[in-house]
Amino acid sequence: MLQRDAFIEEVKKRLETDKDIYFLSADFGAAALDILRERYPDNFIHCGISEQAMIDIATGLALQGKKVFCYAMAPFISLRAIEQIKCGPSMMNLPIAILSVGIGIGYADAGPTHYITEDFACMRSILNLNIYTLADASSAKRLANKLLDKPELCYVRFDRHEQPELPVTNFITDNLYRLMGDTVTKNKILVIGSGKMSQIIADVYKEKSDKVIGVDLIRAKPFPDTLKILLDECGGVVVVDEQTPAGSLGAAVLEAMAEKNSLSKKVKVLTLPEEYLFENGGREYLLKKHGLSKENILKTLNDNF
Amino acid sequence: MDLQRKANLYRKELFEKFVEVKQGHPGSAFSMLEIVTTLYHGGYVDFEDKVLISKGHATVALYPILRDLNIIPQEDWNNWGKGKPTCLRVFGNISIPGIDMTSGSLGHGIGVGAGMAIADPNGHVHVVISEGELYEGSTWEALLFVAHRQIKNMTIFIDINNLIILGKTDDCLMLNSIREKLSGFPFDIFSVDGHNTNEIMNALDETAYQPKIILCHTVKGKGFSLMENKPEWHYMQAITEEEIEQCRKEINDVTA
Repeated sequence: MLQRDAFIEEVKKRLETDKDIYFLSADFGAAALDILRERYPDNFIHCGISEQAMIDIATGLALQGKKVFCYAMAPFISLRAIEQIKCGPSMMNLPIAILSVGIGIGYADAGPTHYITEDFACMRSILNLNIYTLADASSAKRLANKLLDKPELCYVRFDRHEQPELPVTNFITDNLYRLMGDTVTKNKILVIGSGKMSQIIADVYKEKSDKVIGVDLIRAKPFPDTLKILLDECGGVVVVDEQTPAGSLGAAVLEAMAEKNSLSKKVKVLTLPEEYLFENGGREYLLKKHGLSKENILKTLNDNF
Repeated sequence: MDLQRKANLYRKELFEKFVEVKQGHPGSAFSMLEIVTTLYHGGYVDFEDKVLISKGHATVALYPILRDLNIIPQEDWNNWGKGKPTCLRVFGNISIPGIDMTSGSLGHGIGVGAGMAIADPNGHVHVVISEGELYEGSTWEALLFVAHRQIKNMTIFIDINNLIILGKTDDCLMLNSIREKLSGFPFDIFSVDGHNTNEIMNALDETAYQPKIILCHTVKGKGFSLMENKPEWHYMQAITEEEIEQCRKEINDVTA
């Protein structure tokens, strides 16, 4: 199941009893949304291809106490509407969930206008806003219910494609992060990623479970306190992020480690390059070419730890 | 109540406050004073209703009104500009009692107002925007939305004083004719002298069958020859004692 369908399905279920929920779309769809908007037309608002107005309209709804979900393709709901997000829900601290589909180079055949390889850095700078990145459908379902139970201002990053369930061994409650591996010790390397990268980390973990603890970081902002402790206790860190370098997940991890004085150990950060990728070949090809692959993570581990 | 006189009394008070605070946007506040005075003292704002000042730099025009309605504490008004604690700021924000929206960045008010109006169909949302906000794409996005959904429990005032910071709108980047541009939308559009409280009331009282837009033709810096139609008085400027006295004389003449 697509992550977005898993999420919207939960919103739809809740609408049966809660008519204070509003789901706004800037002309972006999903199979589950087709059912939602047909069944609950009063609670679905088509804002047109107008991401900025959508956030302002959501702000007005939230100021009146409504539970609001804004939904659009990732590059447009994030960077195009970031000033609206700052001045509306962020500045007024309103519990709006901003649902952003197609993280990284998920729209690989479309090209750089449709990639979103800097949203993490940009959205992390927005105050009062939590950031979640989803690696599989079960995470989407859990997060939807958390946000329906207790709305908060957040930016939720969905992968465009269906992804398999991660082989998680340890689920940290409240949608913070999930571990692949057991006890963190000085002999273990934490390999941290989110979304699609967590899927690649799962493949690494399967081959190197003796050396690696995989971390699917769901909520990167605020950075989980317990993960800061694991970063302090481990023997080294590799961060993998489908973003360009500046302000990527690596920056968040390094900040967390600096806070705990954990920076004496080696940290490697793998990202996309500082360039727009006009070459095509599909997502897997591009990820592999630029080092976001199982092979390169294994090489990084072998070369450095 | 003589709304015209009431607006000028607020103009007089605000002038003294601008002199005291030494910053702010007098030109923009004085151009919309009759609009907001009419709304609040003309009986157009009920408890459930909202007034959004999308041109957030002019929100100060609401402060003495909200003080008179016992919403903003007198002490906060008195303290503003004297280096004492106050909730008041040059730009409006929701931490100030009675201010329904944090504004200051242009082009947000109509969208936020639309969301509020949908959420509370029993309330009415008044949104005051500047003509300069018609340069913002998000304003037109929101106008399309209001028109399509025929959101009738909101009224949009456009304060048209023909000036932006660098000069006349027609010289900088032509907006006119605003009415013709809006006439393609399913709105009921009214034009008024934005400093004539009777005309504003008449437009508010008119039955509208579509969302209502009131084009308010105004003078930036209205009430003071020093400021009227002077783009530099968008911002508070250094002002001499002689100029202050001249401004006081002019406003006293109309409020005596």
